[in-house]
Amino acid sequence: MRVDRFTIVFCLLAFALCPVSAQSNITYPLHIGTTGEVALLTDFPESYAGEKVNIRIETQALSRNIEDLDFIFADTPQPQLAAWGDSIYSYTDEADMTWTVWCKHHKDIKNRSKRVLVGNAYAAFEQYLYTHSGMAGRRYGWIWWLFAGLLLVAGLVYGGWIIYERHEEKRLTPVEQETLRRKRMGMRRHYGSQLYLWLLLIVLYAPIALIAVFSFTKSKILGNWTGFSLDLYANLFTGKADAGLNSAIWYTVVIALVAAVCSTILGTLAAIGMYNMRARHRKTISFFNSVPMINPDIITGISLFLLFVALGISQGLATVCIAHVVFCTPYVVLSVLPRLSRMNPNTYEAALDLGATPAQALRMVMLPELWPGMLSGFILALTLSVDDFGVTFFTKGSGGLETLSTFIYSDARKGGLTPELRPLFTIILIVMLAVLIYINIRNNKQQND
Amino acid sequence: MSKLVQIFSSRRTWAWPYILFMAMFVVLPLVLVGVYAFTDINGQFTLHNFTKFFTHSEAIQTFLYSLMIAVFNTSICLLIGYPAAYIMAQEDFKTPKVMAMLFILPMWINFLLRTVATVELFNMCGLPLGEGALLFGLCYDYLPFMIYPIYNTLQKMDNSLVEAAQDLGASRWQSFWKVIVPLSMPGVYSGIVMVFMPTVSTFAIAELLTHNNIKLFGSLIQDYITTTDLLNYGAVLSLVLLIIIGLTSFFGDHDSEGDEKGGGLV
Repeated sequence: MRVDRFTIVFCLLAFALCPVSAQSNITYPLHIGTTGEVALLTDFPESYAGEKVNIRIETQALSRNIEDLDFIFADTPQPQLAAWGDSIYSYTDEADMTWTVWCKHHKDIKNRSKRVLVGNAYAAFEQYLYTHSGMAGRRYGWIWWLFAGLLLVAGLVYGGWIIYERHEEKRLTPVEQETLRRKRMGMRRHYGSQLYLWLLLIVLYAPIALIAVFSFTKSKILGNWTGFSLDLYANLFTGKADAGLNSAIWYTVVIALVAAVCSTILGTLAAIGMYNMRARHRKTISFFNSVPMINPDIITGISLFLLFVALGISQGLATVCIAHVVFCTPYVVLSVLPRLSRMNPNTYEAALDLGATPAQALRMVMLPELWPGMLSGFILALTLSVDDFGVTFFTKGSGGLETLSTFIYSDARKGGLTPELRPLFTIILIVMLAVLIYINIRNNKQQND
Repeated sequence: MSKLVQIFSSRRTWAWPYILFMAMFVVLPLVLVGVYAFTDINGQFTLHNFTKFFTHSEAIQTFLYSLMIAVFNTSICLLIGYPAAYIMAQEDFKTPKVMAMLFILPMWINFLLRTVATVELFNMCGLPLGEGALLFGLCYDYLPFMIYPIYNTLQKMDNSLVEAAQDLGASRWQSFWKVIVPLSMPGVYSGIVMVFMPTVSTFAIAELLTHNNIKLFGSLIQDYITTTDLLNYGAVLSLVLLIIIGLTSFFGDHDSEGDEKGGGLV
């Protein structure tokens, strides 16, 4: 029997996928977030030895290094698990994320570092296995089993279908077999490629879907469903969200607008100037124009950081704006240049001959022709500026200026995310999706007309 | 006054603000990276930072490891992205524009937020965070940069060339390897450059995806450059990265010129 190429690929894929992580033996930190109730306490109250303490857990822990942690405690009052933690055990009242912790041996805490990881029984136990046995049994989450199960079912169905096809083919004449095979090949190619694209999209959108789904629950921790709620959206719009988040949103908008406006003006003028230069000069300038585009953001950021350090300029809003203009302008130049080459070069001269001042000629002759390029440059600049992290990170200084990107970064480093980020980005996603659908419908209409 | 008007009505001068701006904020900073790399903390010329780099095994190892991760990530992106771009560029594919937009849309969600969500997804699946998660996250973030240029070149390709090959007796497989792949090389090169360079220099993603257990070269640079005493050493590391970037973009540039020539012929 001829073995189908698709079947081979399919089986290889399934085989490759399943053991990938089962075989990996990297010891890794606690399954933080698996059970959703792990938190890092950096300042453990010292004076409460032997007493009951209420600790408010702010965020989910994102431990930088598991070695930094001295204690891992169970949240259940079950003695055998808590005993491993050796010093204290605790339990949580999930609704308001208040943990109750009993300290037993204050000395231990005082002598060693004050950093304490409070986890739940399962996570603590698993961590124990990982650090002490080295041969811990991995437990896959239900999503993993779902994926694996679906893959298996799909493989079985597909295999069955192939066998059925072969069986059917035997009844036909050779010529009929050949035509049928060709038809099926075409169909398989078509559905196979569709399947491939949609699988890719599912993987690409899975984390985003996670954000969107968990924007409808109040829980502070991503991945912890505490019932449907629109509170996060309400918080976002009434400004009840974290003050840092509110200012980050404002700074992001202000910086993006300033950078986009400046780079559009600068870039358009530069494009007009470059277009009228000699080819040799134009090439030199367009080389330098491409430098910020080729440079990764870390290099642009560091080089500007060094410039500001060398000049002794204190870094803040102004330096971030300048930095954003640096990497936005090249894109404006590149989106305006094609417009210029499509334009009749003599109209500007004609306007001057007819008595217009350069400013008038620019406004009344050039701009109407150039504005689509400027607009797309402007939008591109906005996008780049909003999305930028690397350059902002190095040029924002230490004055507490945060844009959304750097805010998320410092938030994630501290552990966890400000919950209002979830509705914010869900809204952005929905708006972009709506724009996409609108553009698509309009294009279809234009094609049909 | 009239002379001033004359100067401004010559459109060549309109580029001057940008030229000055670039000299100040693009060229000078890059020169400064070199200057800082060759000086010590008091501003005296020294080669000490370089000798430190070549004897600093952690830095060298991190550098090589980052290069390896970047090569891996680029190959994975190419292996996954090329078929996707190829499928989208097929003539009988009905909605290429929508599909292309769908692949780009995730980029509107802040990449750090997506990375945090990816970490959470791995946790929900019970998968470990480590090298695998790092590669998944990097590939996830940079895949659109690979798909888009390849899709663009494949879409612009003259389909009659493939038909000609098939008329001349080439099998589907042969016409793919001998016609389509060579013609799509410019797109592949620019895709490689667009994925490789940011991966080499990435710093925040690795930190979040591995709980800071795996360090990439970008994180190392960040650590040193933000420490005042070690700023000059950080500059050396940046310079090394800059050289890699220069080499890669030279490699990419070489082929994009070929692309322009090809475009001119057609």
